[in-house]
Amino acid sequence: MLEISELRKRFAGGPDAPGGKVALDGITFAVRPGEMFGFVGANGAGKTTTMRIVMGVLQPDGGSVHWQGKAVEYADRRRFGYMPEERGLYQKMRVAEQIEYFGRLHGMDAAAARKACDDLLERLGLTERRGDAVEALSLGNQQRVQLAVALVHDPEVLVLDEPFSGLDPIAVDALATALQERCRGGVPVIFSSHQLELVERLCDSVGIVSAGRMVASGTVGDLRAAEARTLRVVVRDPLPGWADGLPGEVTVTGDRHVLLASEGDDQEILRRAMKAGHVEHFGTEQPSLTEIFKEAVA
Amino acid sequence: MNGVLLVAKREIATHIRTKAFVIGLLITAALVAAVAFAPKIMGGPEEYTIGTVNSQRLPLEQAAPEAKFEWRSYPDEATAKKAVLDGDVDAALVGGTKVLTDGEVDSQLGVLLQSTNREVKLGAAGNIPPLQMVSVGADTRYQAARTGMAVVLVIVLFMLIIGQVMMVAMGVVEEKGSRIVEILLTSVRPWQLLAGKIIGLGALGLINLVTILVVGVTASIVSGVAGDFPPGMPGIVAGVLLWFVLGYAFFATLAAAFASLVSRQEEVGNVMSPLTMLMMVTYFGAFFTTTDPTGTLAEVASLVPPFSSMVMPVRMAAAEVPLWQIGLSTALMVLAVVGVLSFGAKVYQRAVLRTGARVRLGDVLRAK
Repeated sequence: MLEISELRKRFAGGPDAPGGKVALDGITFAVRPGEMFGFVGANGAGKTTTMRIVMGVLQPDGGSVHWQGKAVEYADRRRFGYMPEERGLYQKMRVAEQIEYFGRLHGMDAAAARKACDDLLERLGLTERRGDAVEALSLGNQQRVQLAVALVHDPEVLVLDEPFSGLDPIAVDALATALQERCRGGVPVIFSSHQLELVERLCDSVGIVSAGRMVASGTVGDLRAAEARTLRVVVRDPLPGWADGLPGEVTVTGDRHVLLASEGDDQEILRRAMKAGHVEHFGTEQPSLTEIFKEAVA
Repeated sequence: MNGVLLVAKREIATHIRTKAFVIGLLITAALVAAVAFAPKIMGGPEEYTIGTVNSQRLPLEQAAPEAKFEWRSYPDEATAKKAVLDGDVDAALVGGTKVLTDGEVDSQLGVLLQSTNREVKLGAAGNIPPLQMVSVGADTRYQAARTGMAVVLVIVLFMLIIGQVMMVAMGVVEEKGSRIVEILLTSVRPWQLLAGKIIGLGALGLINLVTILVVGVTASIVSGVAGDFPPGMPGIVAGVLLWFVLGYAFFATLAAAFASLVSRQEEVGNVMSPLTMLMMVTYFGAFFTTTDPTGTLAEVASLVPPFSSMVMPVRMAAAEVPLWQIGLSTALMVLAVVGVLSFGAKVYQRAVLRTGARVRLGDVLRAK
């Protein structure tokens, strides 16, 4: 289990922020092996800072990162896979050489690095581009190479900062599939994203950060359950003033009246609606992750 | 250590197959060969003034019809010697057997005098003794060759050091700016990355330098210029290699430290300017040394790091240097390199992950 506890980080102030800026204010969460953890939050909320601390790129002012019950050290991180926020590849280096190089740096011998590289190129559909310089590839393909670099040494933990940004739907699927495979193999995967539908689709659990704090975390189902349910009733051509005294708000579109209520007796509302007109829809709304997110960071 | 080697290997593998490296190597090799052949092709002065004391004029014009000769007679050897030393004549023929010169005789003139002398006396019986060449000035036999070598050396050392040092700086910024460094530093330590880069690019510089030395020495032997080389050439060559390594290590480490303060290639020139200035001063010092290798300035500069890294090898090529000075200078430079390595590694380690705006050196040093 990867446990992130009480991370704190303050950046030194510049001329525009003399007191410094609090980036992390006690971030805590855990990711189990085989779990895909979606990390969401507004820009500047602290996602990247958290991931950089997990990867040892940044030193926290306080708090700790544990992997398998032990404080994470340099030797552990060599077995982690990382994709930084801004893509880092040697532009002039060839694709296969680059992937092998990073494999070797992670301690693989030449033969193992070569084999892992070949497998990844095959799986990511890059075999034909293996001899090309990275700069000759499209953004989507560069991103695949970047993922290959993060995966080449068969990491125990994956930390990916915005792996899906700027990709077309096909590239997104290819990347998602590759991540899911690793996840099924028992690797905890943390990734950040602003594409909330994608996070909702892929992730077992989600953490929402705002201003350096984890404001909500858990499975998408848990988060939904915690959210106040909204009752949605659609009545066609009702008697005027039918909803007077009922909780919630009514919006009128043509002859359809839509009542959204988050409290009150649903049976009472149903009776009143049926009396007033033709009920077309009656049900509780599942809040989407986007709604949960907006609610959480508000 | 494995990490250092991997990083160094990548640097070598990446740069050695670039067009810039291959073409650069070919051009420098061609230039050095040209320099070695230049004295042969350009020839010496074609006007000679020759003095005579109790001697017949030799029919030099027959042997070298394109050259011009002017003859002056002197009453005795003393006045002839004075004329030689004053530079009124290039050489003075005394008694038909001896030639006085100031320093080493001009090689073409020497050959001319000897061969014409032999032809003239061919009719005479017995052995024909060759003309005795006597220098009445200081022993400057190797001066021309030494100065020539020193000048070539200054340029080669400077170009190689500044070239490789700039590559180190650009490489550091490339990795920092693209954030590759964040991935690299999860698998290697900062000092390994720094050392690997400096060693790799230094090895490329050495490949260049060794090529230049091999081409230069070979071309000199082929062209015959090597005959003018002073004794102790292996020592001079070994010295050049040693001083290149020391000078490069010094400047490259500082370059990596300065470059790690910025995140964009456009800022490299700016952040490097103090270091570029220091290299230029060193270069001018070394160049000045070629004109006055025994002066106080050259002597002092060849002892003080980092100036010694270029001034000392040039001084060693241009003149004899006492052994203790070479030893002292080497020891001081090694100390300087060690100091710069620990300073540079500290700055690099602290600054290379601080992306964004330029990091101030003071902040880096103050940080815990």
